[in-house]
Amino acid sequence: MTNSVRSRTGTDTAGERSRPGPPHRTPTPSGRTGGPGGHRSRTWSSAGAFAVFVLPTLTLFTAMVLAPILWTLYTGMTDERATRPETSFVALDNYGFLLGDEEFRHSMWNTVVITVIVVLLTNLLGLAIALLLRRQGRLYSLLRGVFFTPVILSAVVVSVIGRSILADDGLLNSTLVSMGVASPPGWLTDPSYAIYSVSGIMVWQMLGFAVVVYLAGLAGIPAELEEAASLDGAGPWQQFRAITWPMLASALTINTVMLMISTFKVYDQIAVLTNGGPGTNGTATVAFEVIRTAFSEQRPGLASAMAGIMLVVVAAASVTTLKLLQRREVDL
Amino acid sequence: MKSRTSWVRPLLAIAVAAVFCLPLYVALVNVFKPSTDVVASPLALPAPPALDNIEHVLSRPDGLFWYGLANSVILTTLTILITTVLAAMSAYHLVRSGRWWSRAVLGVMLAGLMIPPAVIILPITRILDAVGLMHTMPGAVLVDVGYYLPFAVFVFMGFVRSVPRELEEAAAVDGAGRFRTFWQVVFPLLRPASASVLIFLGVWVWNDFLTPLLVLGPGAGNTVTVGIFRSIGPYQQDFGAVFAFMLLATLPVLVFYLALQKHFVRGLTGGATKG
Repeated sequence: MTNSVRSRTGTDTAGERSRPGPPHRTPTPSGRTGGPGGHRSRTWSSAGAFAVFVLPTLTLFTAMVLAPILWTLYTGMTDERATRPETSFVALDNYGFLLGDEEFRHSMWNTVVITVIVVLLTNLLGLAIALLLRRQGRLYSLLRGVFFTPVILSAVVVSVIGRSILADDGLLNSTLVSMGVASPPGWLTDPSYAIYSVSGIMVWQMLGFAVVVYLAGLAGIPAELEEAASLDGAGPWQQFRAITWPMLASALTINTVMLMISTFKVYDQIAVLTNGGPGTNGTATVAFEVIRTAFSEQRPGLASAMAGIMLVVVAAASVTTLKLLQRREVDL
Repeated sequence: MKSRTSWVRPLLAIAVAAVFCLPLYVALVNVFKPSTDVVASPLALPAPPALDNIEHVLSRPDGLFWYGLANSVILTTLTILITTVLAAMSAYHLVRSGRWWSRAVLGVMLAGLMIPPAVIILPITRILDAVGLMHTMPGAVLVDVGYYLPFAVFVFMGFVRSVPRELEEAAAVDGAGRFRTFWQVVFPLLRPASASVLIFLGVWVWNDFLTPLLVLGPGAGNTVTVGIFRSIGPYQQDFGAVFAFMLLATLPVLVFYLALQKHFVRGLTGGATKG
């Protein structure tokens, strides 16, 4: 069985294309009997079909994702850098160094702060706006579109807009000055503001995503449930606590995991808004630190170890969050 | 009681949306103003609207916009078409075969969904260097296709399960081979999934910054999104010109999105209502 299939599949592609019509139960040039014989769903194990349907995908995925991950994990255990002629294996020395390195720990902390702010604030505002827009009609569908617009803009575009507004001589500060504020704050250059400005711009961009997911969740709540509750005398808040919020459990899961994954890898916004500053790493995230170490400082060994830590943290954090929220979904 | 407060919701909704829109309004309205007016009165409407900024971008001597546009169109089109076809084929085969190793391949690919680009971009540049595709368009396409395949396979997976097996069996009875069955029976049925994948990837690839910045590199020119970054100096003053560049760079993807919007939101919310 397997053999006969294998021998045919070589001509499969070419033969199929050139054949004009469906030759009803006639043997084909390649010897296939297209009849109702038992091979049609059992032939899926054939190597030829695998080669045609899956191998291109698997090859590209391996070359562009899997192999690079393995390379990163290996290079993270070497001391490779541009200024050193010979590279040697140093096992976990890079990891040990990074755990004690003030700069790297700071970039880790920045990433956590930004992620927490973006996940919490985007969920909160997204839910509030979804509840506000939870009505039929032209106005509401227009407003939904408005909130979604930044989602389809490039992070570069959003960051350049944010920068032109929040820069020291930007549009916000020049407006403040003309209103009589003597020395408006440096929203992106003052260490006590910068990370919140960056987070705020990211919340603004991702908000529409959370709104759409929550609106879809709200649309899935049967109207009878809420009507019944309100007939039983439940106020709006009780109704929200007892029905709406539990019914949005899977929307919360989707939003939280998506926001976590996309915030944790943030690079573009940092590059455009602050270039890692103020100072050496006021707002530098782990992803930014990895790119800077790898390409500007030309230290692939150390950068790869950072990337390794990033990989482990991202996987652990998103899997844990997913499991916790999904268990919550079941409990509710 | 209820009717007396019924104006609160629309009014509040409009007010919140207006505040939310303010940055977009500032960026859009100042495209049509000379730079002196931008700083003096950023919120004022352009009266009369001036097209100087747009013309300036279109006639830049370095051609930053036009080369970027061409690169973006080529990179995005090739990437989304190749990814869609490859992902549909492999998702179909992997889901239908149902073998343990098919599930293993799917599992590994889904884990690839959350890999941050920063983790793999350095080795990717090495691999491209080794095969002579660094700083070339084919190289950039391969990188993007490889990176976005897990997402596309993930979207197709769910849809393949909804295609009735009877249709494929009927096609087989009629003598269609596996490849032909896929192209003429299954692939057309996967159209909603293909639309979602095309739109998502179209927007993502167009908007991508890090990968083209490092992979396409300076030699072959770059995408229009990287062009935005290049067009702003360290001390950006000429807001009007920058906003004009961004508007022109965003228009194609905006039109693309609006034309296919329905599918986009449908694809996005597909998972939200299942739970």
